[in-house]
Amino acid sequence: MSDDAQEIIGDYKYGFHDPENSTIRFDKGLSEQVVRDISELKNEPQWMTDIRVKAYRHFVERVMPEWGNCSLLNMIDFENVTYFLRSSNKTEKSWDDVPDDIKNTFDRLGIPEAEQKWLGGVTAQYESEAVYHSIREDLEEQGVIFLDMDSGLKQYPEIVKKYFGTVIPHSDNKFSALNTAVWSGGSFLYIPKGVHVEMPVQAYFRINAKNMGQFERTLIIADEGSSVHYVEGCTAPSYSTDSLHSAVVELIAMDGAKIRYSTVQNWSSNVYNLVTKRAVAHRNATVEWVDGNIGSKLTMKYPSVLLKGEGAHAEVISVAYAGKGQHQDTGAKVHHLAPNTTSNILSKSISKGGGRSSYRGLLQVTPKSTGCRSKVVCDALILDEDSRSDTYPTMEIGNSTADLEHEASVSKVSNDQLFYLMSRGFSEEEAMGLIVNGFFEPFTRELPMEYAVELNKLLELEMEGSIG
Amino acid sequence: MMYHQMPIPSRSEHLWRYTPWPRIHPSKPDTVPKADEVIFSINGPQELTAEPHSQKPQGDIARAFLQAAGGSSSRIRLNDEMEAVHINARASGHVSVGHLHLEVKGSAVVFLHISGEPEWVGLHITGTIHPNSHLAFGFINELDSNTKFLRCEDWGLERDSSLEHASLSVGGFRCKSDLRTSLNGTGSSIRQSITVNADGSRHDDEHVEIHHHHGHTQSDLVMNSACGGSSHFIGTGLLTIAEGANKSNASQVFRNLLLSPNARAEAIPELEVLADDVSAAHGAASAPVDNNQLHYLMSRGLDPQEAESVIVNGFLYDAFSNLTNKELLEEMRTRLTVHLECELKR
Repeated sequence: MSDDAQEIIGDYKYGFHDPENSTIRFDKGLSEQVVRDISELKNEPQWMTDIRVKAYRHFVERVMPEWGNCSLLNMIDFENVTYFLRSSNKTEKSWDDVPDDIKNTFDRLGIPEAEQKWLGGVTAQYESEAVYHSIREDLEEQGVIFLDMDSGLKQYPEIVKKYFGTVIPHSDNKFSALNTAVWSGGSFLYIPKGVHVEMPVQAYFRINAKNMGQFERTLIIADEGSSVHYVEGCTAPSYSTDSLHSAVVELIAMDGAKIRYSTVQNWSSNVYNLVTKRAVAHRNATVEWVDGNIGSKLTMKYPSVLLKGEGAHAEVISVAYAGKGQHQDTGAKVHHLAPNTTSNILSKSISKGGGRSSYRGLLQVTPKSTGCRSKVVCDALILDEDSRSDTYPTMEIGNSTADLEHEASVSKVSNDQLFYLMSRGFSEEEAMGLIVNGFFEPFTRELPMEYAVELNKLLELEMEGSIG
Repeated sequence: MMYHQMPIPSRSEHLWRYTPWPRIHPSKPDTVPKADEVIFSINGPQELTAEPHSQKPQGDIARAFLQAAGGSSSRIRLNDEMEAVHINARASGHVSVGHLHLEVKGSAVVFLHISGEPEWVGLHITGTIHPNSHLAFGFINELDSNTKFLRCEDWGLERDSSLEHASLSVGGFRCKSDLRTSLNGTGSSIRQSITVNADGSRHDDEHVEIHHHHGHTQSDLVMNSACGGSSHFIGTGLLTIAEGANKSNASQVFRNLLLSPNARAEAIPELEVLADDVSAAHGAASAPVDNNQLHYLMSRGLDPQEAESVIVNGFLYDAFSNLTNKELLEEMRTRLTVHLECELKR
């Protein structure tokens, strides 16, 4: 790590990074030629190159969003970002073959241990491409496909072509256009009909190079009557210059299928995390987003579900922690497009040390969607006078039979609660920590155990020095 | 900025998402038609005085347009008033605009009734409530059902003052209201109730902003709408609590009752909180008439239509239940009753 970066981040526990050892690195800046080069280097079919180029042209034409934290958004210098970097020449199949420095990073993230215990499979995104991929044999036998997205495109081009960009077209927004143009890595997961993947399937994403954009593309298809829990975590080393993370995640839950997508992002506080995540739920399908946002400078992420089939259900649980210099602009969107669809959204946020957390949500019921029900709850805690919390919910109701509720509250930690805990022997800091952990508990209890443990540790770390 | 210098606001702003400026403008957005005057009259001894039009640059396109359009401009000063003051605003002609400024020292109860049949009406009400003064203000929109109506209100509340603000919106076919209150003094408070009864193809867009600039301020907003026919109601609220405005207490509740398959309602209650020692909450709910309530009333002899009417009436009355000024409460409920009875007879 460079001395200046070390000086800035100190001994931040989760802020390690390895010396860059990239074998292919593009010059900074984006052009149509860069997009074509990425596609050529990956030896992609012509249709994918065409989609990339089309997306690039749309990205150039599309203006920056005129809502949200425009001052921070407009600071992004797209010409100062590296759009492709390959760390390892081949996608490894065995953990032993992974280069030591890369493995060392993953070791510190705890992946091998988690895998040994009970994880279904691992594909770890290190910079732009997956370097490690494994899957339990029994899942392979059931026909489950779990690959990095590049390999998925090579090995199953017909499936990728059928679904790629169907949930989030490149023209959806400026950042989905950017991702479609320069995407690299990400996960491709296909669960055949009727297969229930019992163990969570996991992938980790990291940014290791300065001014390195990470544009992974994830596509998950759960065929009829199947179920899967996919876990994605992001941690990044701290740097003194800004990084851009702009992922696109598309989920497709066929009739009666269930997908749970859990994620904890802990990007360092110089990363722009501008992610588009959307799912389609067909008849009687269920999609659950469990979304934790701890790090980054600016996060704009609103996991969405299109409830397309009758009886489909969406569940979104999200938490956000906004510390010094951070703006967590997160939320959820649910579109009730079919009758008797239901959804629940629970959002919790904490702002501290001048941080800003915003909930931005949309609940839409179209005129033909009879008998829909939805409930949205947003709770926010502000821990000091320099911090800020916003709530921007939108409810669009086009059907008279819809039953929708939204409630939100913003408050500080109650003195009564603090007093109660302190009267039982806790220090003020411990009491505050307990209350904050309890506040996030509806989220952490939905996470796999090692993620919950890591999240609690991160929160403890963030809460240090919050009193006095 | 003046009107002609202003760009047309983007629909990405919540204020203009569902009723974009060109839809509420009387003709083409780059024109300012010559406006007739809204005639204000008063039933008491108080005096309405003519006021020169403000030349102050406006930060908002609707206000800038009303300023550019001219029309009438009046001011009324209210001290401790023993009886309720009724102001009638009569609009006529093709495009009609009025500006009214209220200045309150002491306590007063004021009702403003607007009526008339012009194609387009614009009304800008401003009010200053001086320290330790109290105003109960009722606004009744009884415009013709073919009128487009733009209404802007700006209220400033000084230290320890209070405003009880009730609106009954039953007139006009396309209405856009932008009601803003600044709690500028410690201890100031507002209770605001808005009742909207929309039917036919009526479009009613109510935007309410309450800004807590100082600590120990309170706000309480209730907005109830009943939407029938193919009507469209939009309720947007922005509640801000400024940095350092500690011990503020703010709440807003939006409720929509959807009565027909083609009715639509949107609710966007926004919060921006920059202080930590506050209590701020909002809630929104949309639902059809409760079948259990219908069943209960029908089991007591009411036919389905009567039963639904009782439930809708109760729901609309309920919006005023947070008001504490009896005179205001009774008048608004009376007006609502008259409107609902007329509607029932139609």
